[in-house]
Amino acid sequence: MRIQRLQTRIIVFFVALIALVQVAAFWFVNAANSRNAQAKVAEELNVGQRVFARLLDQNAEKLKLSARVLAADFAFREAIATHDTGTIASVLANHGARIGAAAMVFVDLDGKVVSDTLIPQSAAHPFVYPELLGKGAASASMEVLDGRAFQLVAVPVLAPLPIGWVVIGFAVDDALASDLRKLTELEVTFALDAPQGWRVLASTLGDRDQQSLLAAMPPRSNDVSRLVMNISDADHQALVFPLDRNDDARIVAVLHRSLGDALAAFVRLRNTLIVLAALSLVLSIVGSVAVARNITRPLEALASAAARIEQGDYSAPVNLKRADEIGVLASSLNHMRGSIADRENRILKLAYEDPLTDLANRSRFSNELELAITEATQGKLKLTILMMDLDRFKYVNDTLGHGVGDHVLREVSARLQKTVTHAECIARLGGDEFAILIKQGVARHGDDASFAATAREIIAALEAPILFEGQPLDVGTSIGIAHFPEHGRDAQTLVRNADIAMYAAKRNKTGFATYEQHYDTSQQEHLSLLGELRRAVERNELRLYYQPKVSLHSANVSAVEALIRWEHPTRGLVPPAMFIPFAEHTGYIKLLTRWVLREAVRQCGEWLREGLTLQISVNISARDLMNRELPEHVAELLAEYDVTPGLLCLEITESGFMEDPGHAQKVLDRLAELGVKLSIDDYGTGYSSLSYIMKLPVQELKIDQSFISRMATDEEISTIVRSTIDLGHNLGLQVVAEGVEDRAVWDMLRTLGCDDAQGYFMSRPLEAHALSAWIRANAGTFACPNNPVNRLAAAAVPLAPQSSSKSSL
Amino acid sequence: MNAFPRGSVGIALLLCASHVTATDLVLEVRDPKGAAVSDAVMYAQPLSGSSPSVRPKTRAIVDQVNKEFVPRVSIVQAGTEVFFPNSDNIRHSIYSFSSAKTFTTKLYSGREAAPVLFDKTGIVILGCNIHDTMVAWVFVVDTPWFARSGADGAGTIKGLPPGDYTITAAAPSLAGTAKSIAMTLRVEGTAPQRQSISLEAGS
Repeated sequence: MRIQRLQTRIIVFFVALIALVQVAAFWFVNAANSRNAQAKVAEELNVGQRVFARLLDQNAEKLKLSARVLAADFAFREAIATHDTGTIASVLANHGARIGAAAMVFVDLDGKVVSDTLIPQSAAHPFVYPELLGKGAASASMEVLDGRAFQLVAVPVLAPLPIGWVVIGFAVDDALASDLRKLTELEVTFALDAPQGWRVLASTLGDRDQQSLLAAMPPRSNDVSRLVMNISDADHQALVFPLDRNDDARIVAVLHRSLGDALAAFVRLRNTLIVLAALSLVLSIVGSVAVARNITRPLEALASAAARIEQGDYSAPVNLKRADEIGVLASSLNHMRGSIADRENRILKLAYEDPLTDLANRSRFSNELELAITEATQGKLKLTILMMDLDRFKYVNDTLGHGVGDHVLREVSARLQKTVTHAECIARLGGDEFAILIKQGVARHGDDASFAATAREIIAALEAPILFEGQPLDVGTSIGIAHFPEHGRDAQTLVRNADIAMYAAKRNKTGFATYEQHYDTSQQEHLSLLGELRRAVERNELRLYYQPKVSLHSANVSAVEALIRWEHPTRGLVPPAMFIPFAEHTGYIKLLTRWVLREAVRQCGEWLREGLTLQISVNISARDLMNRELPEHVAELLAEYDVTPGLLCLEITESGFMEDPGHAQKVLDRLAELGVKLSIDDYGTGYSSLSYIMKLPVQELKIDQSFISRMATDEEISTIVRSTIDLGHNLGLQVVAEGVEDRAVWDMLRTLGCDDAQGYFMSRPLEAHALSAWIRANAGTFACPNNPVNRLAAAAVPLAPQSSSKSSL
Repeated sequence: MNAFPRGSVGIALLLCASHVTATDLVLEVRDPKGAAVSDAVMYAQPLSGSSPSVRPKTRAIVDQVNKEFVPRVSIVQAGTEVFFPNSDNIRHSIYSFSSAKTFTTKLYSGREAAPVLFDKTGIVILGCNIHDTMVAWVFVVDTPWFARSGADGAGTIKGLPPGDYTITAAAPSLAGTAKSIAMTLRVEGTAPQRQSISLEAGS
């Protein structure tokens, strides 16, 4: 198992290290001590042996001296010289007693015992140890007499030449052993290797110990034996060596000493060592725990501080006042904490704030909204979001530069903040898109009316022109309102629905709109239609219908407007309003335009070959005007179907070229160079200035149907139409009126001098073959009131409601 | 030392005067290795008849010089009185535990000690009671014919009448290495006769 914790690792390491050192030290010291103790005992025994041997020698010398003195005693010699056995025996006993001899023997020069105080019956027998009887000198030996040990000394009796030997025996007894023990400090035993086994002759031991010793005796040897004997359950280091001068090793001395006694000091030392080792181990554990804690405690503090920082809690600094590396680390961590906090604040600001306006950005708004929804869900509260974008912002940005655009955005956000003081969050989502989150209860009445009021306040606040370097800039806004929970239970739905409401407001030019269910369904329908539209071209579900432009002067039809229709296999005829705006949003409009252009040019060519020369107008979207390849494409189509450029007229809306006038101008100029006619569609709905239109290479102006349809009933509108027609003529443009639905309007337009008219009064959009048939049938019939057109007009009446849904396309 | 050879010479002169028809026997004593043995004693005993008895008042001297007996080896006829003068300036106490003559003297100096009559044949070993190293041998024999070898190992028995003798030679200084030896020898004529004696090894 791997030890993970630093503290445990430190403790284990140090304790193991110290334990190792202790054990090693103890082992070495113990081994050395043990060796020393053994050596000491061995040495003591050696010294003891030497001392013992020396003592025995000295004893022998002393005895020899005594013997010599005795033998030299004249009276003694005189008594010996008498050869009288009784006298000799008595002098031996007498003089032996003087020197404390236990046995006195006189041996003649022939080696025969003359007299023996110990064993009287040995008289006349040869002396048992003849080797003791040297020629001149005294000699001593350890021998056994009568079963007892004696140190025998033989000295010649001189008269003055030797006349015999006196052998003096001194008892080797317990007293001698005790004396030797006092001098050698060793236990001393004299033992005899008798035929029936070892026997103790003399000893310093008690009877029981003597028996143990005998049991432990080694085999007889003439050398010194060293061995360990177990005597009375204690180990004794022993030396056994022969004392016999004659090397028959019958008498041995056993010197021994208890190992326990000898090792007592060593054992005490060892115990002390064990205690010291245990003590130092405990101290080392305590010390290493202290050291480890000293290291790991602050580390833990640092780790928990780092964990707090990781969790984003920058409030508590690490509180470690230390001068060491850990202190430095702690201080670094504190600095890092501060730096990270600052940086995170900056990052958060960048991440959640719009740097231009200092409003919240999209992320922040999303977060706030999510949070508010969670709160509102739990507290059964209501929320409202307002989505808004600026009208004509892109125009400002493109024509006056981004600096002005930024100024406008800043000013708008400032006005928003000033106006909507009760908002939870005001955010700029990007571009000219703003969002406002309002919590219920904060809104003044908590009903839709109050939000409508808020929306109106916003619109009013933006009505005042924004001044840039003294120049007034006019920006409007459209606002979509969605409520939680009724318009969506999640942020995504809510935002989308507010968006939908905003588009509705923009479409309906109502300024603001609260989300309604049918927006959503139509929206859903649009979206699914869009998917199907992708396949519509391939499946050949698209059709072009043509509505004739009738000359108000000649009642001739020289031109038609191509209008797209979608014959959906299940939905039937889908009106262009259902898919064109979203095709424009998604960019799919480009493909649609290409298809329309090809089909229109092809039809134009077909009619030409049929002998029908009709100019065809095709609606071009703002996106198409961004496409630089459009003029090339148009030229190719015209060439392909062999159509003269003058037979193609492209209709553009005011807003179409207002989105990017510079770019649009280039494309339009190129198209004009080709000889293609250009027309301003829906004139009067936009904010374009005529001075600008004058710069464009257009030949035609189409007055929006909203004016034409009301001109018969509204005097003011009528005046506008008239002045517009005059204006167009003055600019050299041909003026076309759209949405002509009855003869009254037809007549009024004729009176006003308008050039062409288009509308249900003459014809609804027709398929190509129907149109050519219609032209052939009605050519020149609109000049007088009583012509077949009346019939057509009557037929058109039931279809009148369709005119409102007639697209600008 | 000067006085004592003269004593020996004196004895020889007395013998020469009484036997006219006699001869001198020169004996050369050699040890088993053939070396001359000094301080050996030799004496002759007639095989038949008896030896002349000792003359009265015959005396011998064993002096003590430098804690030694001088001479270390003496030979006397039984009945001779031996004097023990003390030439040292320290006292001596002469003793003998020999069976031929057992005696002791008290501590003395100069000529304080009375002469000791050696009346039995045998070897008397002399010692000093206070100087254990002093030892001397006195051979007491029953014949007037004896001699002591000199440094050349030769000694001369003077005035031997012709006849057959038992010749005995002993050397105390060789005790333990050579034993005494006895041999028979015929003495004839008047011319000095020489005889060599080899001691046999033994103790």
